[in-house]
Amino acid sequence: MSAVATPSLSAPAERIRERLSTSPLSERVQVRDLDLPTLEVSPADWPALARWLRDDPECRYDLFLDLAGVDNLRRPGQKARFEAVVHLHSLPRNEHVRVKVLLPDGAPPSLPTVREVWPASDWFEREAYDLFGFDFPGHPNLRRILCHDAFVGHALRKDYAPGQRWFAAEEDLKMPPWALETGAHAGHFETQTLSIGPSHPATHGIIHLIARLDGERITRAETQIGYLHRCFEKMSETHTWNGVIPYADRLNYVSAMNNGVGYVRTVEKMLGIEIPDRGVLVRTILSEFSRIMDHCVNIGANLVDIGALTNFWYLYQPRETIYDLLEACCGARLTVSYVRVGGLAIDVPEDFVPRCRSLLESIPKFLDDVDRLVTNNPIVRGRLQGTGVVSREDAVAWGLTGPMLRASGVPYDVRRSRPYDFYDRFDWDIPVSSDGDSFSRYLVRMEEMRQSLSIIRQALEIFPEKGPVNSSDWHVVLPPKDAVYHDMESLIYHFKLVMEGIKVPRGERYEWVEGANGELGFYAISEGTGGPYRLKVRPPCFPMMAAFEKIVVGGTISDAIATLGTLNIIAGELDR
Amino acid sequence: MSGVVDVRARVGKLTLAQRLYLPQVLAGMRVTIRHFLRNLFAIRRLPTILYPEQRRDYSDRFRGKHILKTREDGTLKCVACYMCAQVCPAECITIVAGEHPRIAYEKYPVVFDIDMLRCVFCGFCVDACPKDAIWMSRDYEMAFFNRQEAIFGIDKLIEKPGIPVKDGYGYRPYYPGDGTVPPADASTTPVTPGDGEREILREKGLLPAFRPSAPQIATKP
Repeated sequence: MSAVATPSLSAPAERIRERLSTSPLSERVQVRDLDLPTLEVSPADWPALARWLRDDPECRYDLFLDLAGVDNLRRPGQKARFEAVVHLHSLPRNEHVRVKVLLPDGAPPSLPTVREVWPASDWFEREAYDLFGFDFPGHPNLRRILCHDAFVGHALRKDYAPGQRWFAAEEDLKMPPWALETGAHAGHFETQTLSIGPSHPATHGIIHLIARLDGERITRAETQIGYLHRCFEKMSETHTWNGVIPYADRLNYVSAMNNGVGYVRTVEKMLGIEIPDRGVLVRTILSEFSRIMDHCVNIGANLVDIGALTNFWYLYQPRETIYDLLEACCGARLTVSYVRVGGLAIDVPEDFVPRCRSLLESIPKFLDDVDRLVTNNPIVRGRLQGTGVVSREDAVAWGLTGPMLRASGVPYDVRRSRPYDFYDRFDWDIPVSSDGDSFSRYLVRMEEMRQSLSIIRQALEIFPEKGPVNSSDWHVVLPPKDAVYHDMESLIYHFKLVMEGIKVPRGERYEWVEGANGELGFYAISEGTGGPYRLKVRPPCFPMMAAFEKIVVGGTISDAIATLGTLNIIAGELDR
Repeated sequence: MSGVVDVRARVGKLTLAQRLYLPQVLAGMRVTIRHFLRNLFAIRRLPTILYPEQRRDYSDRFRGKHILKTREDGTLKCVACYMCAQVCPAECITIVAGEHPRIAYEKYPVVFDIDMLRCVFCGFCVDACPKDAIWMSRDYEMAFFNRQEAIFGIDKLIEKPGIPVKDGYGYRPYYPGDGTVPPADASTTPVTPGDGEREILREKGLLPAFRPSAPQIATKP
């Protein structure tokens, strides 16, 4: 045992430390025990540790979840100015782990790329370069990704003042170098470079796909994103913990409820407070309804892209009725802002349960209609079957989660693997498919909607008819209005919460929910003030979009459009 | 907890009849014609509405345009405490506080502007108000011709006594029947000391002279 031993470690951290002591890295890696087992390493040892984490038979951390930069400038007592915080998941062992690469304030702080170990880290490293100025020696395409090329400075550094603006003229927007190369057949019609987007009906958001063609086939592709970047993470640092909720809604705006639930769960875990069952179940029910909406939009829009318009209307009707339910609960249809740290903004209306039950009856009819129209239709099969194929190995290596990963045959769903709320009490199936093509993704989503309905049905059975939805801790939740109007002490709590925000204890936390398109993680750091010191979102569609340029190579343009639809890219979450 | 289900194996390959296009086209037509006939004969139950002649019936929690509530004598309930401006995630509320001539009211907003182009209609201001002074209505039609018009001042936000709010009340701090007693109306409460008029108190030397200061605009720390 090396000198890194800390007094008491949890079982997973202890196991990693014991295993690590057999490897040559043991002296140079420190194991700590936070909410997740945390390894601290210097940049020089990072590639070796990465390889060990992926390949060691006792670890097998094969799914790269997230890379978050952290600037410790205003965080006293830390070992280094910068940290690159990596979150990994081991599919065989079903465990999360965190690795912190400690970066001294060099010019610029640099750490080797681990693209070779986890291809998924490619775009995450570009993001850290863009927003923190980390250098990744060995990275072949280290360019800005979220901010435009005319941007000056690195936005998420603490010495970068929020509110600065940089304007990009058209000539500042650069094409990738290979797209400007003139090959042997330069100017030849059939080997041209094609720009799809940024504003194109099939991109369903603002995404720029640059493709080199050989006839109809794509021989090389690259996507440029960031057109909807509004620096959610920097803005959260200037707001209180509750003030971030409307911003979080606008990440995946198609299923806004899930983002809010994921975010407040992170803060609630940091505070260590419990929410009454009724509040948790309302969140679960509305999250599952939101998942249904998200899949409806995704399947409907995807089928429109390949020319099947009718399904769009059939799928938008249940979505409309779910919006009505959300509006009755919180007063808004799309950007709900319904959750609060410690519960909900307001209790559900009296007819909530009957309304949910009537939705449970009406939604399957529309799903059956779409099923009848689409599933065995030879045209749809011809367009989707066998296109956009992602093999199981690729899906894991590219860091895909959610329906994309499950359609490639990996039954990873955080509601099952790392259960939260009441998901371990419900009886439901994870739909998987072995093919990994666009059609599989359609099938997985159709089945997931049915499973969500089943989860809602079970949640309604154990739904308490009456009772609080909010925690009664007035250090966290606003006291009831009656008390605020007439009771001095409640007014003081109210005032402190509104003016200063919730005092979240110092620490850090990574929490997750199963968003509609994959594992939606929130990594939050608190310094004990009323707002987050750092908030990092692990957006599920970020690695998907990174994988897109690899999936489409070899296929035709029309297949690329059909495949893009099945990825479920939400630009609000992709660009943050 | 339960298992894992392979959806691809369940669907299987297309049969010969399905591959012949026509039977599947007819099966699809059956679905669409059924929908068509149902919509034709139950036209009142169509999910679409003929806006603006027909309007959606939103719930009484709808978060639309804000309204500033008034006391019985028509003055604003707002005491310019800046709590809504502070909590606003979009930073769209601008308040300039003034000293009210009536001592019972203490402070009042000289300026209360909401920039409707910044507002995200989250309802946090309604939650934050300790004086029951800001509610939301169900009015969602707020088109403007230029950005200046989008900044709604007191004149556009105030609830005028006797005139019903357009489209009715929406999101608010309490609802009829939930047991909440609204705060007492300061216009009806007896005021001490004296008759409460500041000028009289100042003449008597009981209050320091009022020194107008530069307008304070709420800013984030």
